[in-house]
Amino acid sequence: MKKYQLGEFEEIVILTIGILNNRAYSVSIKDEIESRLSRTVSFGALHTALKRLEDKGYLKSFAGESTEERAGRPRQYFEITAMGKKAMQYAKETRDELWKAIPKTVWQANLSG
Amino acid sequence: MQGYIEGDLMEAYHARREKYGKRKADVQFIIDVLLLFRPGIISSKKRYSLNSSYMIGSYFKTGWRNLLRSKLHSTLNIVGLTFGMVCFLLIALYVFDELTFDQYHVNAEKIYRVVEHKNVRGEATIIAAAGYKLAEESQHSIPEVESTTRMLRTGRANLVDPEHPVPFQETVTIADEHFLEIFDFPLLEGDRRTALKAPASIIINEELAMRIFNRTDVMGKSLQFSHLSFPLKITGILKAHPRNSSFNFSSVMSESSFYTADFFKETMASDWASNSFSVYALLRPHSNPDSVSGKMTRLVLSNYTPGDGTKLSYSLQPLKDLHLKSANIFDGARNSNVESIPQGNPLYITIFSFTALFVLLIAAINYTNLTTARASGRVKEIGVRKAIGAMRSNLIGQFLFESWLTTGIAFVLAIGVVHVVLFPFNQFAGKQLSLFSVNYHFWIYAMAAIVIIGFLSGSYSALLLSRLKPVSLLKGLKLTGDLSVRTGLVIFQFTISVVMIIGTLVLLLQVRYLNDTDLGFNKDLMVVIDVNTRTARSNFETIKDQISKVPSVKNVSVTSRVPGEWKTLRTVKVRNEGSTDDPGISYLFGADKDFMKTFEVTLLQGRNFREANDSSSIIVNETAARMLNITEPSGQTVEIAAVSRGGDFETLEVPFTPRVIGIVKDFHFQSLRDRIQPLILAYNNNPIHVIDYYSVRIAPVDIPGTLDKLKAIMVRNDVDDPFEYHFLDDQLALFYVEDARRQTLLGWAALATIFIACLGLFGLATYSTEQRVKEIGVRKVLGATVIGLVSLLSRDFLKLVLIANGIAFPIAWWATNRWLQEYAYHIEVSWWVFVLAGALAMGIALLTISYQAIKTARANPVNSLRSE
Repeated sequence: MKKYQLGEFEEIVILTIGILNNRAYSVSIKDEIESRLSRTVSFGALHTALKRLEDKGYLKSFAGESTEERAGRPRQYFEITAMGKKAMQYAKETRDELWKAIPKTVWQANLSG
Repeated sequence: MQGYIEGDLMEAYHARREKYGKRKADVQFIIDVLLLFRPGIISSKKRYSLNSSYMIGSYFKTGWRNLLRSKLHSTLNIVGLTFGMVCFLLIALYVFDELTFDQYHVNAEKIYRVVEHKNVRGEATIIAAAGYKLAEESQHSIPEVESTTRMLRTGRANLVDPEHPVPFQETVTIADEHFLEIFDFPLLEGDRRTALKAPASIIINEELAMRIFNRTDVMGKSLQFSHLSFPLKITGILKAHPRNSSFNFSSVMSESSFYTADFFKETMASDWASNSFSVYALLRPHSNPDSVSGKMTRLVLSNYTPGDGTKLSYSLQPLKDLHLKSANIFDGARNSNVESIPQGNPLYITIFSFTALFVLLIAAINYTNLTTARASGRVKEIGVRKAIGAMRSNLIGQFLFESWLTTGIAFVLAIGVVHVVLFPFNQFAGKQLSLFSVNYHFWIYAMAAIVIIGFLSGSYSALLLSRLKPVSLLKGLKLTGDLSVRTGLVIFQFTISVVMIIGTLVLLLQVRYLNDTDLGFNKDLMVVIDVNTRTARSNFETIKDQISKVPSVKNVSVTSRVPGEWKTLRTVKVRNEGSTDDPGISYLFGADKDFMKTFEVTLLQGRNFREANDSSSIIVNETAARMLNITEPSGQTVEIAAVSRGGDFETLEVPFTPRVIGIVKDFHFQSLRDRIQPLILAYNNNPIHVIDYYSVRIAPVDIPGTLDKLKAIMVRNDVDDPFEYHFLDDQLALFYVEDARRQTLLGWAALATIFIACLGLFGLATYSTEQRVKEIGVRKVLGATVIGLVSLLSRDFLKLVLIANGIAFPIAWWATNRWLQEYAYHIEVSWWVFVLAGALAMGIALLTISYQAIKTARANPVNSLRSE
């Protein structure tokens, strides 16, 4: 049963928001992901993911201060909701279970191969 | 969201510019923007739209201002819609009333009338009647039948209060104890479970109580029918029947009154297949009436064997079909002097429903036409709205809201108008319609119709106006509009108007024809007096003599029926004596020797009845003579073997074998709907039908005085006989009273349609002349005449009305011809009706347009050209 849906990129985004804690808005998220995972992130992909997460109820957003460098446009800060936290937990647990279920021999074989 | 993204882009740009320089930052910016073109981000219109509930206030404000700003157009719109809705509501109330006949019984859906289908050697009768045992046994042996009730109307008799014996001729209605359980005729007093249980009980309605006792608290009092030996006790007071009830009895006595009578005990035990009772069955929920009636047929056939060549079966007719779907079912179980239950005409229900819808539609079209035509005045408004971000859906919402606002105002006004005109309308339609006590279903339908009309009338202009581009709107581009749609709608309006005008004219001519046709007898100044008692019947020679001595009486005759009869005429099977042909069917009534003189019926051949007993002579009409192959009356003997009082033919114990002594010219003894049928006039003391009427031709002087004298004579001869009389011409007019009503109703509807259509035309003409005001100015300066300009402005519209005429004529021709087929004697629709209707429509349209056209054409061109 698909209780909590979280795509790969969405998971990265929500984890990053967790890392940034209170300072998460699109530019900071983008920078954080790019520096930590050394992959480029387009605004398009990021905003789509943020919007989806918000629609799912995992994130909530609020308007922040507007600065001159943003030409007077406010920042949109993101925060993880209780449901978002559950979804993250769920994603982690399912992964862990899968990890545990993998027979040890697979690793050995891989190591030897 | 867009705001945030813009900010993000700016911020990133700034950062990159610091880091990599302008060029690289520019390129990256473009890439970022391009990568933002994603469906998830772009199609976020929903979030951006305004909360529409806030907008309603604004819609209302602009709509209202708009109404006030252009008073002429608003008035045209509202008046047109109000007019349309008044017509719609009145007709809808009428139709709704007709469609909900007998629906007020709680069990109406489950009550069925038993109808007998009999076929005796190819001669089929369908009669709403059945036998005693069918009713009695089917409630025991057919599980789906919850209960049944029997009712019969045995004739008319005097009902008197023994304490104050004043006779009242009333129909004797008898029913069993289940009658009030199955039907919900409301009782003001009395217990409905027991009221008809005890022998010698009677329930009467409040109106009859008022007539007899002058009060309604008469429970327990006694009443007596003149033909019965025992008095009846009043056990219940019925409320007056609502107008949409098929039942019109004023009293019901208990069937159990006869249980001890010998004739009852003898006949009813074996009465399986007679036509003595109207039987109504209450079925259990979800029963299939067809299978129940099949069981009834089997039940009867297992106990009764029909004669040779006779097929017998039963069907169940739903109670709700009684009023409109009983056209070929004979209302049985009644004496021939009791009127059958009144019938509605489904054809007219259809015609009226369509009329109501069309009137409303025409009013809606008006709104559409006026609004689109006037839209050029609002082009700037729409442009500004669009420029500051109104979406198409907002504008559509706004225009629809405006049309609902107009429709709503019109609706409120219409309710007011209907409330005022309902009283005269009821008077004329013979109904008791009311806006506020009508079933809520009516309101649901009416509201739905209003919402739909608001939607229809607003939607076209809403779609058209919201489609336009804001730039062209603000530039002040002229609205070309969809002229084809508008002209199409005008043609449609006038087509309907012309069809309705033609329909009304034809109806008018037909009703006039019906009233003026030479009936073959003289109906004027003829007083017809009912003979209700045995004394009045047996003393008829004396009474006739006394009547004829009244100075203002010209002639007097006794008959068993009169031409234009409202009670059932008897029919007989007749053939030449010794012939083996199948007998023909002819009407028959008794008449004395003064009949022809009094009614001014022409004797073609042979002789009249003579003073001496001529009881074995008959006179036939031309149609009957043709049927019997008689060219010259010379005392041919015919054989009359069977007689019918409306239902089955009963064979006479001794066949009546009279001689034909004369032939009269055909006269219309029935309504003009029916072709003249064979008719036999038998002598007044014939064995088939006793006399029932005095027909008195009076002089046109002091008619009330004459009536008083006639009454005195009747009372002197029989105190018990109430003086009941009719004027024959009034009675005949009753045949066509419904036609006259329909004619008036349709006439008004036609007037309303043409009026509304003209309002619309007026609005359009105003608009189009306004549009061309400059053109007219230039033309005038260059020397155009007023007449030339008027014809220029009117031409386009008249073309539309002409096209409408072209479409309307064949439709009207087809429809009126179909309707006229209802009448055996009818007018031919002549060409001038069409020409008149067309000319009328043209004339009215021309008048409407020319007002505007002349005004514009006469205006000083300086006024219109000055600003250039």
